[in-house]
Amino acid sequence: MEWAVATAAFLASTVEFVEAFTIVLVVGVTINWRSALTGTLAAVAALAVIVAIFGTALVQYVPIDVLRMVVGIILILFGLKWLKKAILRYSGWKALHDEEAIFEETMADLRARGETITPRLHPFAIALSFKSVLLEGLEVAFIVITFGSNAASVGNTRIAGITSATAGALVAGLLVILAGILVRSPLKRVPENTLKFIVGIMLTSFGTFWTIEGFNGSWPLSDAFIPVLIVIYLLASFAFVSWLKTLKRNQQSAVRPQAALATETDEVHS
Amino acid sequence: MKVVLAIYNFLVGDMIILIGVVITLLVLALIFTLPFLVPVQAFAGYLLIIAVLLVLGMTLSREVRGR
Repeated sequence: MEWAVATAAFLASTVEFVEAFTIVLVVGVTINWRSALTGTLAAVAALAVIVAIFGTALVQYVPIDVLRMVVGIILILFGLKWLKKAILRYSGWKALHDEEAIFEETMADLRARGETITPRLHPFAIALSFKSVLLEGLEVAFIVITFGSNAASVGNTRIAGITSATAGALVAGLLVILAGILVRSPLKRVPENTLKFIVGIMLTSFGTFWTIEGFNGSWPLSDAFIPVLIVIYLLASFAFVSWLKTLKRNQQSAVRPQAALATETDEVHS
Repeated sequence: MKVVLAIYNFLVGDMIILIGVVITLLVLALIFTLPFLVPVQAFAGYLLIIAVLLVLGMTLSREVRGR
């Protein structure tokens, strides 16, 4: 088992599955559970086919050096995207993901369409849950394929990497479903931003490592440099969060006196 | 065009990150191709780390300035 790969896939999948679960829950509660689960199962099957086809093709036909470079670059792009969002949310520049608000909003949309509880399979309900699980799951499939195909350590085959990543994603999916059955409401307590932050750090660190290896370059300490990369990016991200928080505070304290001045001027004129 | 846009949004969705990473890769390609830059190869990893952090800092700064 490739634990680093499985952990990254588990954390990334948890974030995405929580988001998909919210929509499936709305469909289940508003229309019916048969349609919600049919759409979900169809999307899971589609994702499994995508992982199987692309994962096998990458492992079988692409040389490891080329794969490392391409996957490294893609992981840097993907990791920076996640990290940027997480840093902006931590520092208060972007609103935190609110599953309860999304749940209420989607439910209001469905009711506005005139959808009501029905026992039969409902095409719109199937399509909605299929779309939400497929779209959120695509990012997971992408991480499973890229991360997994590249991460096999010495002695393991490259398929072992994909198997580990798939296992991590499956465990996350099962845990989200289990939590959803127990809670029966949007999973708002899952620390989505923290998970996104950790995954962003992991993707960027592994992406940086593999890009240089793809160029046939080397790192001091070899594979043992990956934890060093993680620490570097972690410290830098904390510094960015602190910098952005200070900017936010400065912006707010600059706005307050202006607002007070405007109120005083209004009072004088009136 | 829609497909390209969809792939761009799925992968990165941020022009600063995309351009920054592409420029960094071009520099790395030069370092690992040109013979007179061979001595720099030992520092390529550190250059990549600095470039990644610069790109992150620039995109965050742009986001903040935009609000």
